[in-house]
This record gives sequence, structure tokens and C-alpha cells, in this order.
Amino acid sequence: MALNPYESARGRMRARAETTRRQFLMIMGGLAALGATLFGGIEVLKFMFPVASGNAPALFKTTFTFNDLTGGVVGGQAQTPVNVLSETDKRVTVVLDDAGIYAVYLVCTHLGCTPNYVTNVVGGSGVSEAVADARGVRARDQQIPNGWACPCHGSRYFIDSTNFYGPAPRPMDWVDISVTPDGYFAVDRATLVVTRGPGDNTPPAWRLLVGTKKSNGKTYGV
Amino acid sequence: MSATSGQASPIRAFVAQLWGSVFRHGLPTTDKVAARTALTNFFLHIHPVRVKKSAVRVSYTLCLGGLSFFLFILLTITGLFLMFYYIPSVDSAYQNVKDLQFVAVFGDIIRNMHRWAAHGMVITVWLHMARVFYQGAYKPPREFNWVIGTFLLLITLLLSFSGYLLPWDQLAIWAITVGTNMAKYAPIVGPYTRYLLLGGDQVAQGALIRFYVLHVIALPLIGFLLMVVHFWRVRKDGFTGGL
Repeated sequence: MALNPYESARGRMRARAETTRRQFLMIMGGLAALGATLFGGIEVLKFMFPVASGNAPALFKTTFTFNDLTGGVVGGQAQTPVNVLSETDKRVTVVLDDAGIYAVYLVCTHLGCTPNYVTNVVGGSGVSEAVADARGVRARDQQIPNGWACPCHGSRYFIDSTNFYGPAPRPMDWVDISVTPDGYFAVDRATLVVTRGPGDNTPPAWRLLVGTKKSNGKTYGV
Repeated sequence: MSATSGQASPIRAFVAQLWGSVFRHGLPTTDKVAARTALTNFFLHIHPVRVKKSAVRVSYTLCLGGLSFFLFILLTITGLFLMFYYIPSVDSAYQNVKDLQFVAVFGDIIRNMHRWAAHGMVITVWLHMARVFYQGAYKPPREFNWVIGTFLLLITLLLSFSGYLLPWDQLAIWAITVGTNMAKYAPIVGPYTRYLLLGGDQVAQGALIRFYVLHVIALPLIGFLLMVVHFWRVRKDGFTGGL
């Protein structure tokens, strides 16, 4: 029996393992087709991810001026400030408080709607004004805590963008703001100057300081 | 038969041949001819030649699958009419929808038919799935068709979602903002999925044209192919019959 090598168990295994030329070409051809399909598939998928989206640029100039927000100075007298001005379409709001100026990116941290500015943000929320007072989140001259309320699912934020009600998981981000030479604000939505995680209620220290020198040696006013 | 025999007129022969080329059989006189007529006609063959008496009882299936298909046909036809006025551009989309309602004759009815049929189709597809589930009609040999059905449910919901954006009003924009932000929460692929759907980071022109293409071409086509397989399997597996 052992005279025929293919009769042994080992020989049968060898016979099975041997690949004919036709099988080899089939395997190679199949692998080549598979590779081409995978490569082509990846390229088709990449087609769906544009490298430039054509969305609005991150950097923009506000339609209101520095003096619109701070009230400015008329005849040596500081005028009443407005405290909060918003660019709703561009989803940025600019706030003046005792420490200075900051800009909040109005993208609700829940699911991305634009919260509206409200003068009484605690009303109807079950959160008392005392809570807001304890947190020190009343803007200048505000008798009632003001802030933002999201129209989609009712999240609410104090004026320093800290969430206190509704499904929002964390405070809204602050974006970089500066004053342009012609007295407007330049807001860069791509630069987040304050980003706070869930439960982080510490009031951010970042401010565009009122009264600091401009590059031309003049001060920012008030 | 031959027109040259002089017995029948050539026109008659032509009409007879034309009729025969399309219908192959005369009016069904016996069960056998009726069966053959159904089998040799594309439109008639969609319906089975024979059905169990228990399966035609309306109270058994409530015709929910048929209603879903009827609404799909209705949505295709009304949607086709809407496409004559609607341009998927952020500059004109909202105005086109208003034109549909106030400028086009019967446009408001067509738009509302499309809207209510869309709501109705989501409802009937859900109910259809519930009916199949509670009757155990998903069990072998119909498990493959159940899986196709779940994909059809998904297609129905995606069609509903993609159509939501097209009027380009505030509701549409924020609904898609919320919906795509939900997709973003998925691990790893989430942000890519959102970018893929919107063609960018904001609900803007890129998002509108993508949702439009999905809504009028891609999803209906996939849905139609799945429906063909779905109905084919219903025919092959037969009705579950009385419990």
C-alpha cells in the first residue's frame, strides 16, 4: 500500500493541498477583483466627504459696535450699557459684565439648536432666583437673572452660559472676541476660549477687558 | 387564421394578433384558463392564482401591508407632481413650497396628500410589523422576509426624516439639526455620519441637496427593490393561515 504515496494519509493531504494552475489563477483573479472593489468603494465613500464644505466662515464681524454694547461716552459721560447683544443668525451673543466682555457660542450642548436670550431665565423652571444669586450670575443692572433658553427641548443657561435646567449636559462654549479698529467686534467661532465639561459650574475668568489699551494706544472705552 | 385565406378581414386578424400578443388567453372561462391568464400576465401574476379562503379574510391581515404599498404608490405619484415646482436650493425651496400651495392649481391638495400619506405610511408600516409579530408570522420559513421587512421599516423612517428637511422652514432646519446631532452621539462613526449627511458641519445648502437626492431617488429605489423581494417572498412562503 505504501508504494503509492497518495494512498497514505499524508499523501492524500498533499494531493488535496496541490493547486492546479486554473485554481491558482481563479484565486489571484478573485483577490484582484476584491482589492479593486474595496479600493474603488473607499474612493466612492471619500467622494461623499467634501474637503471644503462651503459653510459660513468661522470668523465674522458683528453688526453692532463696541459702543452699542457699552453705551459709549458722550460728552465725558458714560452712557447706560446694553449688556447683551446677539447675532442670532451667526449664533453668537456678546455680554458685558463687571469684569469685561465675553462672547458665548449659542449652540445648545444638548442637540445643537440656538437658545434665545431671555430676561428672566429662572421663571417657571422651579429654580429660585436665590440659586442664581448664589452663583453670582446676574448681568450688570439686571434685577432678575437673565440668560438663554433653548426652544427645542427647554434647556436653560445662566448669563455665564452655565446650564441649570433641561437636558443640556454642559455649559455652552465661549468663543474668541476682539475689537476691530473701526469699533466693531471680531468674533472667531473656531477658537473656543472657554470649554466646560458636564457639571463644571465654575464661572470662567476669560474676558475681553474694557479699558485696556488698543494697539493704537487708545483705550477701549467706558 | 391566415389573413390570406380570404375569410377574415386583415384588420380583424391584426387586432386578434395584437390582443393575443399582449394577453395570450381569452377571457377566463374555466379555472384552468383563469390560472393560465394570471400566470402569463405581468400585472396579474403579482396576485397569486390561488389563495386560501382563510387568507382573504380582511380581519386576518387587516391589509396593512397592502395599505402601506398603496400609500407608497400614492407618495410616488404626488411626489412626482411636487417635483415639478420644487427646487432644492436654500434660496428658493421655501418659496417653491408656498408657490405649490398658492399658485399651482390643486397644489395645496397634492402637497397635503403627500404629507398625510407620509404620516399614514409610517403608521401602517408600524402596525403591519406589529400584526406580523403578534401573529408569529415572522417564524420560519418567513424569517428572511421579516428581516427584509425591518429594512423596509428603516427605509420608511428615513424617507420620512429626509422629507422633513425639504420645506426649508424653521421646523425643518432645527429638526434636522437635532436629528443629525443625535447621529453624532454614536461612538466613533457619529461625527462622520453627521458630516456625511450634511455635507458639512451646518444644516445648509449641502444638507438640503443631499436630503433631496436621498428622498427622491436613493431611498425610494432601495425601498422599491426591497419591496419586490418582500412581495416575492410573500408569494413563495404563502399566508400563515388561520391560527
